[in-house]
Amino acid sequence: MAKAFKYGAHGISGTLHSPERKILRELFNDVIVMLEERAEVHQLPEDIDPLYALTGMRPESMDLPEVSDPALARLLPDASDDAVVAAEHRRLTESDLITQKIGALREAAFLMENDKIVLQKPSAQRFAQALNDVRLVLSERLEIRNEDDAARVAEVLDAAEVQTPDEYLALVYNLVSWIQDTLMSALMDAEL
Amino acid sequence: MTAMPDVLPEIDTATTNEKPWRLIVWNDPVNLMNYVSYVFRSYFGFSKEKAEQLMLQVHHDGFCTVRSGSREAIESDVQAMHGYGLNATMTQGA
Repeated sequence: MAKAFKYGAHGISGTLHSPERKILRELFNDVIVMLEERAEVHQLPEDIDPLYALTGMRPESMDLPEVSDPALARLLPDASDDAVVAAEHRRLTESDLITQKIGALREAAFLMENDKIVLQKPSAQRFAQALNDVRLVLSERLEIRNEDDAARVAEVLDAAEVQTPDEYLALVYNLVSWIQDTLMSALMDAEL
Repeated sequence: MTAMPDVLPEIDTATTNEKPWRLIVWNDPVNLMNYVSYVFRSYFGFSKEKAEQLMLQVHHDGFCTVRSGSREAIESDVQAMHGYGLNATMTQGA
């Protein structure tokens, strides 16, 4: 079983065992794939003004398509209720947001190589971000829409009693939540 | 001394007196309370007390205006919040 993250003399450390690391690595990679697929719609046509190609900027006339997968929409939400403001924000920032998220997720997947994980504050923050993105995606698959749904999922704690794929998913969600929760406690302790 | 020409364009008051934009963070049942509080503390530099108070406001009221400012400033706040996985939007005026 995993050991909670704690803040100490060498930074923030915790332990995850092989089966947990395997599950987590797969989850990080799944989310990376989702984001990479979205990144493909950002490709500019080859015959575009080279200035755009050079800067990576997107012309105003080329708004991005809506995010249709609700799990992906949790990672890349609309920036405004105003559709025009939201579309402009997406056009100007979504590509950077995807790059930043993929970076944190790759780093997190790489951390899953060893049992013992030792982090400094910035790397712990990026790890927390990656765990949070995984939870957002899982929450959509588990249909966690309100606090009651969250409480229903939180009840699934005993691996021996898990019978359905959804219960298994809930168990995984609770594991990721627990890891993130102890990581946040350690980060809070590091602030004092 | 040079006389200023009379044909200077009028300054567009609509852009100089633009109403401030607000950064709104919305509650959701996924983000952990200590995570939201930590993000408010580390990203905005709020005190522990202020960060917790804002986090609780999000939790109880369903949303909270975290700060207001120029469009550019709030745009980059929204992007940062989305980076952390918080559900944030921007809106102009009251």
